[in-house]
Amino acid sequence: MKLHLQIIPAWVAFAALLAVVRLKHDPKLAQRLRRRDPKAMTALYDRYGRLVYALIHRIVKDAHVAEDLTQETFLRVWNRAQAFDTEKGALGPWIVTVARNRAIDYLRSTPARSASRTLELADIEHPSRFTGIDDEALAPQRAKRVQATFDRLTPHQKTVLELAYYEGLTPAEMAERLQEPLATVQAWLEGALNALRESAREAAAG
Amino acid sequence: MTCEHLRGSFELYALGLLGESDEKSAIAAHLDQGCPACNARMKDALAIQALMLSQAPEVLPPMRLKCRVLGAVGIQPMGWTWFAALCAAAMLIAALWYGVISSERRRQRDEARASLAEAITERDRLHSAFQFLQDPETKQYNFGDPNAPHGIVYLHPQFGLLLIASQLPPVPQDRMYQLWILPKHGGAAQPAGTFRSASDASAVYQLNRRLNPADISGVAVTVEPASGSQMPTLPLLFVAPIG
Repeated sequence: MKLHLQIIPAWVAFAALLAVVRLKHDPKLAQRLRRRDPKAMTALYDRYGRLVYALIHRIVKDAHVAEDLTQETFLRVWNRAQAFDTEKGALGPWIVTVARNRAIDYLRSTPARSASRTLELADIEHPSRFTGIDDEALAPQRAKRVQATFDRLTPHQKTVLELAYYEGLTPAEMAERLQEPLATVQAWLEGALNALRESAREAAAG
Repeated sequence: MTCEHLRGSFELYALGLLGESDEKSAIAAHLDQGCPACNARMKDALAIQALMLSQAPEVLPPMRLKCRVLGAVGIQPMGWTWFAALCAAAMLIAALWYGVISSERRRQRDEARASLAEAITERDRLHSAFQFLQDPETKQYNFGDPNAPHGIVYLHPQFGLLLIASQLPPVPQDRMYQLWILPKHGGAAQPAGTFRSASDASAVYQLNRRLNPADISGVAVTVEPASGSQMPTLPLLFVAPIG
């Protein structure tokens, strides 16, 4: 079975880029969250609510499920904010990762996906993992550069990245889905990730 | 495994896609041991992951979702609640004020209309009486004494009868004066309408129908129930002879 790649239209990417502009690092917001300041939660939703909902909607493709998982994401962040490093932690990458993992968990819980890796994802998204990530991790210029790099990838590379980030498929599952040898899929994946890594490194260097 | 062997696997580890492989265990071990190179690669992988995920096409969440999310952590969105409550209270007060003002204006308008209708009726009545009095065919008949009900009856063959009376005794609210036409050649008195007196005990009453003065011996007035009577209730208040 061949996957039909969903190419992101330019205007949609631009809208997403504009949304990212608002995602500046805010240690004060993280501190207020740790103090369980109700207004901080309101500010957090105002800042990340649209992105979280859009990301989850992109993964689960169901509005009602996206609402449930958005609520679950913010609840999880609220309950785990105590473990977040308010000085060095990157709030945006953390909440985006939590949102993605809730959506992938949901996909894996459906009967069609047998293996459950909920505990594994929970460990990866622990707040301590996001300590020391660059404040500008979601800066618009970096998002733009990554988008440009993604656009230059081959169709196969784009496909495996989409399957990894938005469907949570392992290389073996991708090989089965695409009916291609595992080594071929791994090569596509390695090439795509190398390109992204290089692009992010150049962006960070300015 | 060395750090170099693992360097290409951090993105898949961050995405939770390494399953139960040796690579996963090795990366977890390196990270737990605080390996600087592996920790730096892990952070880079998480940053790339966040950048990729932030490229999702924008889909606007429903408005209710914010309330739902805040409610789930026990927060009421007070700002908008208070704002909405204030708006609702202001609108309610404005509606009540407008209602009271409208009601008062409606009452004043109805009163003005009633007064105007009364004035128009009175004007028409006086105009009719004036025409009646000015016409050369009108005949005048005086009746009564100065200390008792007295006045003038005017008769006109086409316009009918005009009674102007003074010194009328007061009557209860449920009673009215009733005019009677007394035929010249005998027969029963004919009812000719009811009327009330003004505050100065005077009354002006006009009967608009054709009358032949030659057939009338007089007009009389009695006090009757407000709905009027078919036969006069004695005693007669006064009689004005005609002819």
